[in-house]
Amino acid sequence: MARQDTGLWRVLNGPQELGRGRVFWCLFAFVALGLLAYPAVGSVFALSNLANFCLYVPLGLGLALLWGYNGVLSFGQGAFFAIAGYVYGIIAGNLTEMPAGTLLAAIGGIAASIAVAGAFGYFVFYGQVSNWIIPLLLLVLSLILETFMAQTAGYQWRVGSVLLGGYNGMTSVPSLEIGPADFGGASIAFYYLVIAVMLIAYLGLRLLVNSHYGHVVTGIRDDVERTRMLGYNVARIQIQVFVLAAALAGLSGILYVSWGNYINPSSMGLLAATLPVIWTAVGGRSSLLAVLLSTVTLRWLADTLAVKGGEYAFLIMGILLLVTMLFFPAGIVVTLARRFSSRKRVLGKLKERGAG
Amino acid sequence: MTIRGPAETDGVLALRVKDLTKSFGGIRAVDHLNLTLTQGELRCLIGPNGAGKSTLFGLISGLHRPDAGHILFKGEDITNLQPFQRVRKGLCQKFQTTRIYRALTVAQNLLIAGGARRLSRTKNGRLSWAINTLGLDSESEVPSGELSHSQQQWLEICLALATEPDLLLLDEPTAGMTPEETELTAQFVINLNRQGLTVLVVEHDMAFVRYIAQRVTVLHYGRILRRGASTKSSRIMRCAVSIWESVES
Amino acid sequence: MSLGYLISLLYQYLDNIAFLLLAALGLMIILGVVNVINLAHGELIMMGAYITTIAYNRAHLPLALCMILSTIGVGLFGMLLERFVIRRFYNDKLGALVATWGISLILSQGTLLVLGPSMESVSLPSWTFSYGGYSFGGYRLLLFVIAIVVVLIAGWTFYYTRLGVRTRATMQNADMARALGIDTRRIYLLTFGAGSALAGLTGALYAPTTTIVPLMGNQFVDVAFITVVIGGGTNPIVGALTSAALLSLISTPLSSALGTFIGRIGLLIAALVVIRFLPRGISGYLQDIRYRHMARVAS
Repeated sequence: MARQDTGLWRVLNGPQELGRGRVFWCLFAFVALGLLAYPAVGSVFALSNLANFCLYVPLGLGLALLWGYNGVLSFGQGAFFAIAGYVYGIIAGNLTEMPAGTLLAAIGGIAASIAVAGAFGYFVFYGQVSNWIIPLLLLVLSLILETFMAQTAGYQWRVGSVLLGGYNGMTSVPSLEIGPADFGGASIAFYYLVIAVMLIAYLGLRLLVNSHYGHVVTGIRDDVERTRMLGYNVARIQIQVFVLAAALAGLSGILYVSWGNYINPSSMGLLAATLPVIWTAVGGRSSLLAVLLSTVTLRWLADTLAVKGGEYAFLIMGILLLVTMLFFPAGIVVTLARRFSSRKRVLGKLKERGAG
Repeated sequence: MTIRGPAETDGVLALRVKDLTKSFGGIRAVDHLNLTLTQGELRCLIGPNGAGKSTLFGLISGLHRPDAGHILFKGEDITNLQPFQRVRKGLCQKFQTTRIYRALTVAQNLLIAGGARRLSRTKNGRLSWAINTLGLDSESEVPSGELSHSQQQWLEICLALATEPDLLLLDEPTAGMTPEETELTAQFVINLNRQGLTVLVVEHDMAFVRYIAQRVTVLHYGRILRRGASTKSSRIMRCAVSIWESVES
Repeated sequence: MSLGYLISLLYQYLDNIAFLLLAALGLMIILGVVNVINLAHGELIMMGAYITTIAYNRAHLPLALCMILSTIGVGLFGMLLERFVIRRFYNDKLGALVATWGISLILSQGTLLVLGPSMESVSLPSWTFSYGGYSFGGYRLLLFVIAIVVVLIAGWTFYYTRLGVRTRATMQNADMARALGIDTRRIYLLTFGAGSALAGLTGALYAPTTTIVPLMGNQFVDVAFITVVIGGGTNPIVGALTSAALLSLISTPLSSALGTFIGRIGLLIAALVVIRFLPRGISGYLQDIRYRHMARVAS
């Protein structure tokens, strides 16, 4: 009982996220341990697949934070994902001789995403624009980037010794290498890296949203003017959250190119911009856990569809998005969780009355 | 006819409004207004609807930009500062229509309110006393949207107090309250002022004004009409009431 | 800097204005009145192009009739959209954005599945003429004329008809309009239909000039969105005109000198700079100026 009074436990179980209490955390630990132990039984193929699904989780969580907790809808997370991937490819491809080359490339990639996000954020948040302007302009940015990258075929389109590759994209991107460990897509090391990143990102964000800062962030979502009138520099906080979300998208981008060793313009485009929005909307943007679950599940679904009928993938995504917005506006996972917890409460009250 | 109150240069000036003007479209809401407030004062601002009271508050707290004029707070010109910067300097407003975070609990509301001024997280004594007096400590985990209307008003005053202001602007704090709640609020505001907080109140409820006001300013069509000291039976109060009633009819 | 070059620049300028106006007007009217952003706007344009193409190539109807069919068809479809989807998101701009994005995916991917990756295009009426070494297409000049006519008709409807008055009342204060007996739901339905019809018309008009593919809407929406952001929803007509004129002024010399990509990046940067200082767009800023002038006059 004493342990539950410490600050960390209180913050982890704060009100801004679903899933609280000892039962939940036991379940969480169980699943986490299962993931960590999986390489003992899973095939290399299965591990690589699961890693592929999970590497997108930081991307999804970033949008959940930005849209669900701060009220800012972004159609640009795909662009930040791909910017980091391309910049990583450029730097790593040019620094193949350096032992820390890929690490520098990773830092460079995320820095590039942060720079673009920061510049964009400066204009829209200090301008105090209406909330619909941000997704529109980010859509335009994604479109322009995709169109530009798609026509960079040919030898003249290169940075150092790395070809941008045009429509077919950049190939032979070196995987991340930290010291002796090579994080290639088919390696166990990569699997562990992804699981670790996913868990750390989730727990870190969970602490953030339940902290004082996290409450101010949701305060901005609920009533911007009120938060300003309590003395907060709202524009600065919004830029910080926007940049954090971009960094998380960039992190996923780095993991992606390390997994597949390639990246192409469609990762920057409109369809790629849609995917995080779908994961977040379907799971329920007000809960990080819901988005984590929906990201992994929908990635798995897309992968399965790609084998059995790839042309239908985006049509199904569109239908899913529309149906969710019409009938489950809070998200499918969140709606189910709320119904479950309210039934639990009713049953609990019935039990109390029965016992009394 | 102007009744002079205590000399305006007594004590340090908390607030000085110089020649303030603001129009919305074709309507001049505040018209070359001059107003001073000494530190530790408790002032009431009354006047008929449309006299410019809420606009004046909006100008002081920074929601609106004036067309002309200056606002000086504790000697510093804040006319061009953003609202959040004014709050950080110690100027906080409670709004006419309650603006609290309805989906969040009382405790969460106060958590957010208490953070912006980077003050040390040691106890805000005045805030604790306020929460206690207004009976909000027992409602800590209640979503603030579920509080009664008066409790929401009180919560909003507490949110303002959480920013540790030197000047508190109260825009119709007793709107929608019962007579008992009004009296409680009046006593609360008097006690706040006794602790040294400068308070400027806009109010319609003359009972409240009579109860608390030391000095009253009457606003009409964006200008100061009358000002002076008030006692329960003072001439200025009767004068103010009669002017108001004649304008309203 | 020959006269021929200047005339060529002017031609490109007018051509760009026409493109921006036709691409954005429907979207802006919907934003200004119904207060939602229809992210399926590009796909509505695509539908207009497809209807015209199919009617012309398969049914061999005269081109003008095909275009009228497009306009009416997409307009009706828009009204269906409003009735069954948009209606739920009146006070939820971001929700409307996401829902219409879902519709946009369904439309573009559905078209891809049903009608294939491309379709044979409509031949461009070849009314070319040349001057000073440059050649100009008469059809695109006609598009400019049509664009101006469309804006004039929209403006006339807004300011000189009873429907227009009711629409402006709904824009300014929907509750008050309802209290005065205006059927705001019907206004929203008709406005959404009109905006969609304009999108259909745009698709139809530009069908002869481009390849007919399911994702063709994208080339219209990026400029349409920027035009909307800079114009602002306060006054769709004024916003569309001023925004199109300003943006073409920026993009025409840029694309002419440095290529279309630089032209489009220039537009995006212009949009960011404009909203930094005029967050409600040009039409919002013009309204502020008007109010300030009224204030000065009243004193």
